[in-house]
Amino acid sequence: MASFRMRRREFLIGSAAAVAAASGAAKAAPQPRITVSSQWAAGNDGKAMDALGKLFTDAGGAWKHNPVPGGTSGLMNKIRAEMIAKAAPAASQLKGPEIAAWSKTYPTVDLNGIVAGAGFEALMPKEIVDLHKPFGNWIAIPAQVFRTNTLFLSKKAMEKVGENTIPKTWDDFNSLASKMQAKGIATPLAAGGLAWDHGQKFEFALSGISIESYRAAIMRLEDDALKGCDVLDAFKQLRRLANFWDPGAAGQHYSVLMPRFMSGDMGIIMHGGMAEGVAKFSGFSPDDYLVGNTPQNSGPPAFDLNADSFIFWQQKDEDLQEGQKLLAKTVMSPAFGPAFSGITGSIPVRSDVDMKSAAFTDNQREAARAFSEAIKNKTVILSLGQNMAQTAQITSAMLDVLAEFVSDKGMTAEAGQKKLVSAVADNR
Amino acid sequence: MWFKRVLPHLVIWPPLAVSVFYVVSYTLWTTWLSFTDSQQFASNNWVGWRNYASIIGQSKVHTAYTNLLIYGFGFVVLTSLIGLLLAVLVDQRIKAENLFRSIFLYPMALSFIVTGTVWSWILNPGLGIQKLVRNLGWTDFQFNWIVDRDMAIYTIIIVAAWQASGFAMALFLAGLRSVDADIVKAAEIDGASAARTYVSVIFPCMAPMFVTVFVLLLQFAIKTFDLVWVLTAGGPGIATALPTLVVYDYMFERGQLGRGSAAAVLMLSTLLLVVVPYWLWRRRRATA
Amino acid sequence: MNRTATLSWNRVAIYAALIFFSLIYLAPFAVVLLNSVRDVREIVGSSAIGFPKELRLSNWSAAWNSYCINGHCAGIAPFIWNSLAITVPATLISTMLGALNGYSLALWRFKGDNFVFALVVMGIFLPEQMKLIPWATVLAELGLSNTAMGLVFIHSIQGMSFATLFCRNYYLAIPPELLKAAHIDGAGFFRIFWHIVLPLSPPILIVTVIWQFTSIWNEFLYGVTFTSGEQQPVTAALVALTSQIAQAPEFGIQSAAVVLAALPTLLVYIFGGRFFVRGLTAGAVK
Repeated sequence: MASFRMRRREFLIGSAAAVAAASGAAKAAPQPRITVSSQWAAGNDGKAMDALGKLFTDAGGAWKHNPVPGGTSGLMNKIRAEMIAKAAPAASQLKGPEIAAWSKTYPTVDLNGIVAGAGFEALMPKEIVDLHKPFGNWIAIPAQVFRTNTLFLSKKAMEKVGENTIPKTWDDFNSLASKMQAKGIATPLAAGGLAWDHGQKFEFALSGISIESYRAAIMRLEDDALKGCDVLDAFKQLRRLANFWDPGAAGQHYSVLMPRFMSGDMGIIMHGGMAEGVAKFSGFSPDDYLVGNTPQNSGPPAFDLNADSFIFWQQKDEDLQEGQKLLAKTVMSPAFGPAFSGITGSIPVRSDVDMKSAAFTDNQREAARAFSEAIKNKTVILSLGQNMAQTAQITSAMLDVLAEFVSDKGMTAEAGQKKLVSAVADNR
Repeated sequence: MWFKRVLPHLVIWPPLAVSVFYVVSYTLWTTWLSFTDSQQFASNNWVGWRNYASIIGQSKVHTAYTNLLIYGFGFVVLTSLIGLLLAVLVDQRIKAENLFRSIFLYPMALSFIVTGTVWSWILNPGLGIQKLVRNLGWTDFQFNWIVDRDMAIYTIIIVAAWQASGFAMALFLAGLRSVDADIVKAAEIDGASAARTYVSVIFPCMAPMFVTVFVLLLQFAIKTFDLVWVLTAGGPGIATALPTLVVYDYMFERGQLGRGSAAAVLMLSTLLLVVVPYWLWRRRRATA
Repeated sequence: MNRTATLSWNRVAIYAALIFFSLIYLAPFAVVLLNSVRDVREIVGSSAIGFPKELRLSNWSAAWNSYCINGHCAGIAPFIWNSLAITVPATLISTMLGALNGYSLALWRFKGDNFVFALVVMGIFLPEQMKLIPWATVLAELGLSNTAMGLVFIHSIQGMSFATLFCRNYYLAIPPELLKAAHIDGAGFFRIFWHIVLPLSPPILIVTVIWQFTSIWNEFLYGVTFTSGEQQPVTAALVALTSQIAQAPEFGIQSAAVVLAALPTLLVYIFGGRFFVRGLTAGAVK
């Protein structure tokens, strides 16, 4: 039976002409069909997309994934070219405020009915909802959530300094890292050397100092907050962090440092849950490290949110329209979370997903718990480094300043802050 | 027959017209965009010089042009010197000339994506030369230019020179071989040393080739993108930003087509600063 | 330039210098070749420069036809065919049209021909990034979006700038008397092109073909943007490979793929290199 169904499905995916020729019935209701463009080409991301494709085909749709190499700009160049040809993909990966920005350039699909039907909106915090219905209508569906401010501590490095507790405040953190340095771990912080990575470090610093200041300065771009002393302190903390990491990693992805972290040659990683997937990929187990959230000086910890989403572009063909509905339903379905997040190491968007499922690790469960906690405490913030807080133009301008600041050890925190203020003013 | 007279025109003009039209229209269109508030797509809202004013104030743009100055000068000089030296060496009636020439020329065959990737391994302190030497026992050895914000641009010069000096060699070799043999012989009979013959007889004869090499290398330098993108992505920080990276950053990373176009127009103007004098010089030579 | 001395110190120094430079030029290639048969863990654990402890020839077969690139687990081979299908026609078309342009600009002088030539040549200076959106618009108008044909079209037109530069300068060197004589004999535009100009052209056409082939083969930005999925050229696949590094750096397979992707252009330069220099000597760039 199973093999028969398989064959039938493959058959359906085949050319429309063949289907029409084989049976008149196929003509009556068009088979839902979808093309999805994403940057998720390889490794876990690619596998997760395959899992989504399987859910979609199981539901009777014809699936086509079109991965685009070259990062976000590569993907958006491609989509821009397709939009110019009036042939945008039926769905594509897009996130954060860019959903609103791009929705002004090309007609999107109104998903209100489907979202309401699934009772989806009530299952997530306002921060996420607002990004996906920027002008009152749902036009995009969130697929997964990451806590970017996750702290990983190498057990081997912790043994060297005789510690086993996760630092609570930035002072604790700084003294732990200094201790590691004193014990011969020259660069305890395993940090990548790319601009977005620097941006994340800055947001951890600022949100760990004050969540309110982060919201005012980074998310709302308020002048007073940007010029305020919390931002200045965050710059000072960023400088300390920069002194803890290996400048030799400039231009490198943080994952390159994973073996050094595991061997105890480095001790700390601050990164989203996907770092766990990378660790697993490199042959390490959760027993090799401790996990918590990055330091929070006072009050309940911030949940620094990164979410990936699919946006839906208007199509003429009926089968593609049906495919969009089916994809939206599939991504919102309870089965999607375990299937997709189970591979990428993220948290499902729906707060009602059973995290006890074997698809998840302990650390994912902990992050999910922190997520619902943060929703309750109203400590969810949107990540700057992961393009969640601002549009690309402001994010890039800010990241340029932060990258320049960390690479130029002669630049004072005051000078860094000044540059940040003017970068924002210039791009607002 | 009228058709026979018209036919050549039908063949000559379309390709010429297309090549001219493509250059002119794209340039004009970009120039137009640079005065608009275009974001992800072209818009027609005129904003005057605002885009120019904005990008000229950016420290990244200053860095990019300072870098272009360092890189352009360093790359052209280094590449020409190595290319000339190799050309002279290859021109010594050596055995296996084909082999050596192929070795020097092969980097030109490779894409910058490839050479950039390979060199990024070699130059990366944690993976390349530094690691190798340290593994051999010299544990203090340091070679970390690529991650040093003051030195990174020089490593890019070295890699680019490695890639392009074979091409310079080929051009110089062509120049050397088109110098009149009689002049060379005359110098030899006069008892001039080989070095003297080169410097005071052969090189002056191929002066036009020097100019050609300089100009070709300079346009190559100004257009450099992929290599830096793969090697350093413009970092550490913004230390290896170049005008092309700024254009890409504005147009496609940030989705600010207007500012990106302004940056592109600035870049083209820099190019014209190089090319127009060259043209004037050529025309003077042609009419003289 | 002592022709009789077979092995003087001078000669030794020349060969020593040549060999020294050869080693420097070959080193990066050697690094890639060695890495292509090394294990990833070995590379990450020691250094990207080194001899393989054990030969991992499987990297090569994986890179050729089984490694997953962009969701297609068929290695780099299909992308190489794509690139050939784009590069060969685009090279031939741009060279042909460039030769025609060169011929009319050099030998059928008209008023303002120098200015026209200057405009055509300006094309070689336009940065790729700037032309991306205009090309997208043109392709959309012509209905060539997302097709390999679109890339052939772009490269044929862009390629004309360099081809025209090369050919025009070369044809300028054809003695005018030759043409005058032909004219008097009553030969027209095409007859002169076929019977006089084309037979003289091989050196410059070879230079042009080599130049176009390598630059089109190595182009990346348009390849990624204007084609998708299974039609993408090999440079796009290489970039996909390098960006896979976030998950697991597969240096070994990547190295093998890099060499495979570079083979066609390498062969062109190795076998055509002699003609390249000869063609340049004959006056391609003056």
